[in-house]
Amino acid sequence: MAASKSQGSYFGLFLVGGIVACGGIAYAATGAGKLLLLVGAVILVASMVGFFKIKPLEGETPVLSSPEAMKWVGAGVATLGWLVTLGGLRVVQGNGGRIVVALIGIGLSLFGILGVLPAAFNKTAFWKKPSGAATRAGVTSRSGRATVEQEMTASTAMGVTK
Amino acid sequence: MKARRRSHVLAFCIAAATVAVAGMALAQTPAPPAQPASAPPAPVPPATAELREAASKAPAAADLAKGDPGGTVIGNVADVTVTDAKAGITLGDAGNQIGQNKIAINFVWTLVCGFLVMFMQAGFAMVESGLTRVKNANHTYMMNFFVYGCGLLAYWVLGFAIQMGGAAGNGNLGGLNPLNAEHTVSLLGKTWGIFGETGYFLAGTSYDVGVMVIFLFQMVFMDTALTIVTGACAERWKFVTFSLTSVIMGALTYPLFANWAWGGGWLSQLGTNVGLGKGYADFAGSGVVHSVGGLTALAVCLIVGPRIGKYNRDGTSNPIVGHDISAVLIGCFILAFGWFGFNPGSTLGASSNGNLRIGAIAVATMLAGCTGTFGAILYMWISKGKPDASMSGNGLLAGLVAITAPSGFVSAPSAAIIGFVAGILVCVSVSFIENVLKVDDPVGAISVHGTNGLWGVLSVGFFADGTSNYGGSWNGVTGSVTGLFYGDASQLAAQLVGISTLLGFVFSLSFAINMVLEHVVGHRVSAETELNGLDIPEMGQLGYPEFVFRPEIAYSKAA
Repeated sequence: MAASKSQGSYFGLFLVGGIVACGGIAYAATGAGKLLLLVGAVILVASMVGFFKIKPLEGETPVLSSPEAMKWVGAGVATLGWLVTLGGLRVVQGNGGRIVVALIGIGLSLFGILGVLPAAFNKTAFWKKPSGAATRAGVTSRSGRATVEQEMTASTAMGVTK
Repeated sequence: MKARRRSHVLAFCIAAATVAVAGMALAQTPAPPAQPASAPPAPVPPATAELREAASKAPAAADLAKGDPGGTVIGNVADVTVTDAKAGITLGDAGNQIGQNKIAINFVWTLVCGFLVMFMQAGFAMVESGLTRVKNANHTYMMNFFVYGCGLLAYWVLGFAIQMGGAAGNGNLGGLNPLNAEHTVSLLGKTWGIFGETGYFLAGTSYDVGVMVIFLFQMVFMDTALTIVTGACAERWKFVTFSLTSVIMGALTYPLFANWAWGGGWLSQLGTNVGLGKGYADFAGSGVVHSVGGLTALAVCLIVGPRIGKYNRDGTSNPIVGHDISAVLIGCFILAFGWFGFNPGSTLGASSNGNLRIGAIAVATMLAGCTGTFGAILYMWISKGKPDASMSGNGLLAGLVAITAPSGFVSAPSAAIIGFVAGILVCVSVSFIENVLKVDDPVGAISVHGTNGLWGVLSVGFFADGTSNYGGSWNGVTGSVTGLFYGDASQLAAQLVGISTLLGFVFSLSFAINMVLEHVVGHRVSAETELNGLDIPEMGQLGYPEFVFRPEIAYSKAA
């Protein structure tokens, strides 16, 4: 579908909802503020529903579905690393100890970000697959060093997806 | 008879009203103090007398009318604003003028530096667009253009209040007293700032000249962070999802971390609350701006996936070269120019409170950019055989990113070392992200801003030399920021807590927000759109309509 009038409308709605909601936050202590916050939230939800409804109109993307749980585990491990560091501030007193705990926390976060998450996203990466949605999309990589041209050819030959 | 009675009544009424008004006036007017019969005039203090004498010798209008080609006539005591022209100049007038001058110098300094930072948007646009293919030029330029508006709107409405709502107390800008509400929590027996609560829409008490100055300066910093993401996700990112991400980032993700570091939040309180150095120290934003942008770029890049044709089935990557290396290198120079606003401007003033260090900060910035370029060029030349132009540009930017946090605290040799390490680091990081993580970052933004932003934050903990003195304290802790190499290990601990927060909180929050957007809106354009170029489907117009596109086959072979 690419960019469309519907997208523009729902984006406009999103902005209006956001501004109204922020007006509500600014005056949250008053009744009018609470009302504005509620109205803004409703408009924001409406815009998101709109976006969700027009999402299927998009053409097929080359990205294949990958394990959802693993992605959230990766983000969770990253967050856990931060919590370990914060815990170190409470439990450990000396500078050396706090540095060590912070390094452990950073290591844990890096494991989540650089270890778990790329593995989750690349598990079913479209460039690995010779079949399925990627082929339909005409974007499958050939064995070895495929080129952009080959993919263009595949795309043209198979009829580019809607 | 009747007429006489009416005139009596009228006369009585007038007399009564006169008595009443006179009574009220007497009741409200204090009795004049009894004056001595012949009070001598109050003695004029010697300093005031001296001022008045100088004023009497000031050039007359006739002298001024002759012109002042040497600039030696105007700009004297006669230019001081006096409160009582009849009485003449007083010491109070002179003091007021000095105060006005200090604030004026700091306002002008901060504003002009903010204008320089704003111009960096043009540099980012050129770098990012130059490194992408011509079929996506309009789309990439438009992302860089529109991110300014998205960020500004979101920051004005909400972001600024979250970041700076509790940042009162900056003497350079007159105190910023209206920004006096920080939401706090109590933990470990201490109070920790979480987010600001005043300044929404810059309305109400935020309608203040100092607040306006700090808003402008902080806004352009925020926009720099946002525009980092557009480069990393170029050539396959839906324009509408980019717009949504930018608004949310400008309103929430960036301001939250910026509050913790710069707005009186808990990271800045690590020194006062738990004795970690001077608290998290990030002078101009290696962490706040560049790491936040770089880590958000990584989060979105993971979700959006690599460009079609970037990776082969065996996992090897193909180079997809950009369309305009001249735009890239000119863009880098524009960014380096803007960085002179970024780092020296972060003193938020040029007058008093140790702000004369701006010269040292500017030189540190310049040197780190230089050595960053050398680091990247030498690395590429020695390891790949060619002094690669795009990596040279990235080396310059990496050095600048890395020196951003320590620029206010380190010596010139340290700045050179930090920049050189950054130049090598960016090359290693680009290769790691592309070949090991299989994350496609067309412009190297994750490495330039994310990796080197973290390096910059860390380097404060090592290289800060304890010579800076911004009003005698930093983050409310007396003394200067001092790193491990100069004897303070606790500052390194504070920096590590900051890095952990960037990785564990900022990345995770950005990832979660963009995962939700992925499910609701979708980040990626269709394969058809991507292959044909995003200019027509997403923007409705080619960036270069008169260009004849080479077929991808020739393009690919040339690469």
